[in-house]
Amino acid sequence: MSVKGKVWKYGDDVNTDVIFPGKYTYTIKERADMAKVACEDLDPEFTKNAKPGDIIVGGKNWGCGSSREQAVSCIKERGIAAIIAKSFARIYYRNCFNEGLPIIICPAAVEAISAGDEVEIDFEKGVIVAGGKEYPFPPYPEFVQGLIKDGGLIPHVKKELGLA
Amino acid sequence: MGKTSIVKIMERASGHPVKVGDRVWCNIDWATCRDFGGANAVLLFEKEMGKEAKVWDPDKLAFTFDLQAPAHSEKVATNQKIIREFCKRQGVKRVFDINHGIGQHVMLEAGMIKPGDVVLGTDSHMNLLGSVGAFATGVGNSDIAASYIAGKNWFRVPETMKIEVTGKFKKGVCMRDLLTHIIGDLGAGGMDFLAVEFTGETIENSSLNERITLCSMVTEMSGKVPLIMPNGEVLKWLVERAGPEVEKLAKELKADPDAEYCKVLHYDVTDLEPLASCPDAPDNVKPVREIAGTHVDQVHIGSCSNGRYEDIAAAHRVLMAGGGKVSPTVRTIITPSTTEVQLRCVEEGLAADFLKAGIVFTNPTCSLCTAEHYGAMPAGDVGCSTTNRNFIGKVGKGSHTYLMSPMTAMATAVKGCITDPRDILK
Repeated sequence: MSVKGKVWKYGDDVNTDVIFPGKYTYTIKERADMAKVACEDLDPEFTKNAKPGDIIVGGKNWGCGSSREQAVSCIKERGIAAIIAKSFARIYYRNCFNEGLPIIICPAAVEAISAGDEVEIDFEKGVIVAGGKEYPFPPYPEFVQGLIKDGGLIPHVKKELGLA
Repeated sequence: MGKTSIVKIMERASGHPVKVGDRVWCNIDWATCRDFGGANAVLLFEKEMGKEAKVWDPDKLAFTFDLQAPAHSEKVATNQKIIREFCKRQGVKRVFDINHGIGQHVMLEAGMIKPGDVVLGTDSHMNLLGSVGAFATGVGNSDIAASYIAGKNWFRVPETMKIEVTGKFKKGVCMRDLLTHIIGDLGAGGMDFLAVEFTGETIENSSLNERITLCSMVTEMSGKVPLIMPNGEVLKWLVERAGPEVEKLAKELKADPDAEYCKVLHYDVTDLEPLASCPDAPDNVKPVREIAGTHVDQVHIGSCSNGRYEDIAAAHRVLMAGGGKVSPTVRTIITPSTTEVQLRCVEEGLAADFLKAGIVFTNPTCSLCTAEHYGAMPAGDVGCSTTNRNFIGKVGKGSHTYLMSPMTAMATAVKGCITDPRDILK
């Protein structure tokens, strides 16, 4: 599978409060409504204009802070194809696999990519193509590949337990 | 080569030998939710497994209504009702409704948490239960719903960082200042994916509330779990609450002397001074004396980091030393972490002193750590708080927050601007 999209670029330590503001966590339950307020306190331009297939590029420790899964759901539901970052905060990282949102750790690509660039990600080959150059990224750990293959954590647990 | 505490805990929870980097299925001792996240988790479980499906063991589920307690809107009230009705259907008895306080603290006081327990919760500060040697971690709704199916979930066995702490705090300086110092030093991602063992004489002699403060803030460095195996007074307290097996567990799960660490850091607190996290990030750290005099509109003391009785008593000492009144230009709010803490403040006269001082003394909740709670700040306001995050917009769009110790927060409330508590505690 490969995807190609326009880049929204951000810095280090982007926290889940700015990705999905706390005030919505009690009231919004529908995923489509989550998507409408995605990144409201990070970048109102993103909230207004992000299109399905776009790609987010972040710095170190993307998604730090609260454990709220809506901070992943809102981006997944918005149709964002993937998040590329130098590193992810661990609860966010876990929530991404549980939600089926592709994430890639690739510091070299993050350095090379600018906001508004067109970037291609080839998941099979494990490369990001940006500005005519290829940036390889390592495959997911085997265990995580199993999660992705089964469609997320809950289907994976059902399969492991013979319930599916 | 010996084993770290987290390796021993995961071997116990998975039932087989493990090594760092393995991904293993662990048995869950507690799968907990708050009023935040709880409704989504139970609805997800029912969507995936069917309305009639039963959780693996209702006696291992707990719900704590700590974020919006009592409910501040009909939508929140409806979320809470979804949880209450789920618990009735499933036979879950551990429902700590709006009259209890902050989840981890309530569960600790109820004697539910022992060293080595695997605790999942929809609270990123769940890991403060590492203050009694439990492996507790914050997760999203899917992880909770998945755990309900069979009482198991997967974890990567993390590398462990060891932090040795020596020295005694000087007057006006406390564990919160040490933590602020460490965050400034390591940064917001400084413990990403790591277990962290705190050791050394300062830790061994520390109280439970100090250990809670230390462990709660590991989340702000993206750490997976902090661990301190109970000893001394903390062990005694926990044995009284959680039973005699705590002693054996604390001994067994202590790291071996020759355990392998990915990093060992040493801090000495002897010359530490009061510190603050400046707007808008916990790792933007400055000495309080450098920002002294900054105008402040609101002061808040509480949260899972600094809402224990000892934290409130330390603030009370500063208040009384400063003349017993807070500045009329600063809105001051104190929120105990649990009803047990609140009751002690009432019985020992602290609550009366706070009311006479012009302070709002509230029921126990997470209060200002959550959006749209009481104490929200309008654009342009500056707050000082003992909570654990000062991300932009968290307490109100366009407002900014300094994070600090309960003593510094109270000194600030008394003087009406950011104040080094040593100026009052002379």
